[in-house]
Amino acid sequence: MQEATRELYWNIPSHWFMYVLFVGVVVCFAIFFYRRYRLWKLGAPEELSDHKSERFFGAFKEVFTQKRVVRKKSSGIMHLFIFWGMLFLLVATTLVALQDHFGIPILYGDFYLYFISLGIDLAGLVCIVGVIIALVRRAAKINSNLETNTADIVWLALLLVILLSGFATEGLRIVGTNDPWAIWSPVGYVFALMFSGMSPEALSLTHQIIWWGHLVLAFAFLAFFTYSKMAHVLFIPGNYYYRSLKPAGTLEPIDFEDEELETMGVRTLEEYTWKDLLDAQACIKCGRCQENCPAYLSGKELSPMRFIQNMAAQNLERGKILLKVPEDARTEEQQTLLEEGVVGTVISEEALWQCTTCRSCSEECPARVVHPEKDIKARTYQVCMESAFPPEAQQTFRNLETNGNPWGIGWQKRTEWTKDLDVPTIEENPNAEYLYWPGCSGAYDARSRKVSTAFVQLMKQAGVDFAILGNAEKCCGDSARRLGNEYVYYMLAQENIETLKQAGVKKIVTQCPHCLQALSVDYPQMGGNFEVLHHSELLAQLIAEGKLKAGSCEYAQVTYHDSCYLGRYHGQYDAPRNVLKQGAGAQLVEMERNESKSFCCGAGGGHMWLEEPQGTKINDMRAEQALQTKADALVTACPFCLTMLTDGVAAHDSQMPVKDLAEVLAEAQFE
Amino acid sequence: MATIWVFAEYKDGVIGKVTFEAVSEARRLADAQGKTVSVVVFGSNVDDAALAPLAQYGADQVIVVDDPALAEYTVDAYAAALDGLIEAHHPDTIMFVASSTGQDIAPVVAQHQNAGLISEIVAIEDEGGQPVYVRAPYSGKILEKCAFTNNDDLNIVTLRPKAFTIAEPNTSRTATIVREAPAGFGNIRQIVKDVLRVASDRVDLRDAEFIVSGGRGVKGPEGFQVLEQLADELGAAVGASRVAVEQGWIDKQFQVGQTGKIVAPQLYIACGISGSIQHQAGMGQSQCIVAINNDPEADIFRIADYGIVADLFEVVPLMTEEVKKLKA
Amino acid sequence: MKIAVCVKQTIDTEAVITLDADGQVVTDGAALIIDPYAEFAVEKAVQLKEANGGEVVVVTVGTQDDVPAIRHALSMGADRAILIEDANIDTTNPLAKARILAAVLEAEQPDIIMGGYKSGDTGQAQTLPRVAAIMGIPQVGWITGLELEGETALVDHELDDGVERVSVALPALFTAQQGLAEPRYPTVRDIMQSKKKPIDTKDLAAIGIDPSLVGPAAAQVVVKSYALKPEREGGRIVEGDVPDAVAETAGLLASEAKVL
Repeated sequence: MQEATRELYWNIPSHWFMYVLFVGVVVCFAIFFYRRYRLWKLGAPEELSDHKSERFFGAFKEVFTQKRVVRKKSSGIMHLFIFWGMLFLLVATTLVALQDHFGIPILYGDFYLYFISLGIDLAGLVCIVGVIIALVRRAAKINSNLETNTADIVWLALLLVILLSGFATEGLRIVGTNDPWAIWSPVGYVFALMFSGMSPEALSLTHQIIWWGHLVLAFAFLAFFTYSKMAHVLFIPGNYYYRSLKPAGTLEPIDFEDEELETMGVRTLEEYTWKDLLDAQACIKCGRCQENCPAYLSGKELSPMRFIQNMAAQNLERGKILLKVPEDARTEEQQTLLEEGVVGTVISEEALWQCTTCRSCSEECPARVVHPEKDIKARTYQVCMESAFPPEAQQTFRNLETNGNPWGIGWQKRTEWTKDLDVPTIEENPNAEYLYWPGCSGAYDARSRKVSTAFVQLMKQAGVDFAILGNAEKCCGDSARRLGNEYVYYMLAQENIETLKQAGVKKIVTQCPHCLQALSVDYPQMGGNFEVLHHSELLAQLIAEGKLKAGSCEYAQVTYHDSCYLGRYHGQYDAPRNVLKQGAGAQLVEMERNESKSFCCGAGGGHMWLEEPQGTKINDMRAEQALQTKADALVTACPFCLTMLTDGVAAHDSQMPVKDLAEVLAEAQFE
Repeated sequence: MATIWVFAEYKDGVIGKVTFEAVSEARRLADAQGKTVSVVVFGSNVDDAALAPLAQYGADQVIVVDDPALAEYTVDAYAAALDGLIEAHHPDTIMFVASSTGQDIAPVVAQHQNAGLISEIVAIEDEGGQPVYVRAPYSGKILEKCAFTNNDDLNIVTLRPKAFTIAEPNTSRTATIVREAPAGFGNIRQIVKDVLRVASDRVDLRDAEFIVSGGRGVKGPEGFQVLEQLADELGAAVGASRVAVEQGWIDKQFQVGQTGKIVAPQLYIACGISGSIQHQAGMGQSQCIVAINNDPEADIFRIADYGIVADLFEVVPLMTEEVKKLKA
Repeated sequence: MKIAVCVKQTIDTEAVITLDADGQVVTDGAALIIDPYAEFAVEKAVQLKEANGGEVVVVTVGTQDDVPAIRHALSMGADRAILIEDANIDTTNPLAKARILAAVLEAEQPDIIMGGYKSGDTGQAQTLPRVAAIMGIPQVGWITGLELEGETALVDHELDDGVERVSVALPALFTAQQGLAEPRYPTVRDIMQSKKKPIDTKDLAAIGIDPSLVGPAAAQVVVKSYALKPEREGGRIVEGDVPDAVAETAGLLASEAKVL
């Protein structure tokens, strides 16, 4: 028996013509791609050409594992089918081309049988299954967050027709060539059975029609590929490649010493960077961001998806003028359009202030679009340049300016909480290993002072050498910065960094994840480089080192609420759980949304200081999720979460205690 | 004989209670220094009957200037009339109530008469026979004792309302009533177009001297009606914590706190409010805080001057009755 | 239209006040702010300028330490400032300050003079009424509203039980009470620009005032002593049966707290 293979381009004598067509395809592809490239290049510069190999391999891994896509199981698997199916088909097509034109013998023997025949057949089948699932879930509107327009259906249908016609040509070829290895192409074989009774002439003609039809459709697909949302196949890997390698939540600093400084933040769309605009191009509006957005889910106007989609739409609209109409030839109407800022066109004033910067949109986005920072950039312009922000924030801003804390309590009262505790200041203990940073809540808020007290007791018990800054500590500036008040943040950060440096501080332990973010991610931008950890991390470490013994928890079961800034921002999910399980001896019962899928308490992004006029209260929603666990206590590791969830639980008339993990640990240790 | 004058707050045929505080204090000072007390009353169609209580609290003499030009307060007319009286009678001390009118006119007259002025005194002490005036500046955080450099010149003080106790009225005392016609008011440059009285309406939160405020413990819009009764009795504004507003029990404009209004009334009665730091940021500067809460652990008790651990629905109606009694 | 606003810098109302060894209030290190009442006046002045055109001039009697408050007013939209600084000035004496302000304002000839009816810290509540009296111009104190009708101002003068609407011909002086205007939050651009606005520092000689009129010798009032008032203790629970506790509390409010 001869070696397994098949005749290429059977029955297509003038198949060379397809190369003529292919040139056209490449030209279309290139033109449409260039058009899009020009659009995102309208954005402001951003330097992302560093760490090329890290970028490449990271992107490579994420593309081929489809890690970000399968984060959501249902649609993720559907996409995995189409992705891997198409990938195999692409490889096979390329191999065919290589053999046909460069004479490289590839499609022979076992490789042919297992890979090209059987493998590709199954790949095609998997792809068809994926496409059908995609079509059905769109047609049946299974997911209300998934917006479907005609183009979406057309593209999927086209894909389906291409796949089916591929199998049809295969079936016809199998019949026509009486392929002895037909059984190795099981799907093609099934199709072949359908054509088995045809006359040779009819078969030949049908084959030629379907073959050319398949080719034309496939080429059309490729030609218009970069014109449509299918371009995500290129843009998302591109977006992976150009991902920020900086810590999550990094905001670009503004240098207020710069005499040339004229504007801050983003007013018009093109003040966003090209990467921001590439993000918008890469968005395939899968809706996963809004499915996880606390603002959206609580019935507010903000939809991270709409925000990004509007960016893309505006990019196109404005691009038509910016790229095609010379400046002096623009009509008044066009000028007006270009003058419009992003607030009011891309995002409404209300929605702009609804983002809690919880980051779950970015966490869930399969395209690696980063949403919260875009919102904050626009806020920065509104606050710094227009003084336009929710009026209730003004008091907080003024308080931060005058007294360095959001409540405006006299700065000299910051250490009052230590009155009966014997907590050394850095002057009293200048060589302390850790600088303990209780933060404004830990220092001023009666509720959080109990947490500070518990934490101090634990550190003393474990023999930690620590000190506090005392009255010289100021608000870390996180709320100000994320509310867009870069100026107040800058002043606070500058003072804090100066104080910390003068005190010779090396290691800092914070109690608030927002302080953690400011001190570990924001301050290095201004020359404040310290080793910063969260109190949950230090406590977990002390437990692991045996410096704190296992205690017994007074609650049978506790549920732990992941703070956004400790979890999604810092990736710390284990330390707090270890503190509870190993240190406090608590049994943990998880909420449905936990760890990286945790649901915001509603206070992030400065929302601690804003009203929440629209929709359901986010903290009520989260409290309800906690109550559903029927746990005996709700534990957090963030003072804002503590406040919000306490209010939320009370709103449900529940007696469930809400505590910080340091309190739970202290109670388990000392009682 | 040296005389202490008290400038009376007279409106709509009634002498205000704050004036009796000043008269009582003037009497005490006059007795200590061997002086007499005269009360100056400005108005239009001033009724002698309204003046009678002044004697009971210590006035020896009441000087009335009755003129249509004094029907509504204008600084020019009042200052001109007072300047005329001062130049005619040479009192050695004038006491004003530190009300909006008293604080408005006192410095003007002080300047016209080249007199020293000590404003918003909360007590008068005696130091070697000379009066020492106590003020409470810096939001009441400091007690400042001051004196006039020359006690022989005309000296003017304004008295903080409610800081001085009203003497037991002595019904047997009488005072002579002198009606004086001013030489003229000069050019009155302020023309009163309209007067809007707001006493009957609910007071604006930020201007309010008294606030009755409710939180989660109020339990619903009906609960606020109980608070309103106390507020009406006190002439107080009604406030609320963020929780109560978010629950929709009361309108947002009544919210006190970090993201609501910042208030500093003389008296803040917190009913069913736990007293989170966010709430304290809005009312911590109140002069006196009363907390009513059935949770003895509530943070509000830490900052309250007086706390009652009980159900607010029991306490508030009782408090309303007590206030009624006090006012009667 | 030219509007002059007299601005003072004060210690923040939330600040912890301390006394030095001599029993004087320590301002060093205290949180200093533009006086809230002066700030209402600045806001209203800037609003009037924005609506009617003209100029807003800030006038301060003080020292270089008061520049942050002046800059704040400039960042809110005032155009320039005059700072009268002289070691001979007794800044605790309202009469002295009134004489100085009157001299400066006579030279400036503004249409409207504004400022706070009192300051948030020392609260003597008399400097500006004295200024108007010295200058012989009409004044209305405690205003919560101001509208212009040509050369006349319609102002809302606050009474204890209401509001009196008063018409006054300009030039005139008005003192601000809370409610006159909500102070704006200056933008960073405004803050940057305020650094370029002129502050004209003058001494007594430059405004032609005899130092003896504004020095310690001119004082009509002396401060004998300052004492810290004990901080609110809090936490006092009135015990007993509810009716008794309520009656006792009401009694304490009248007799001890003196608020009823």
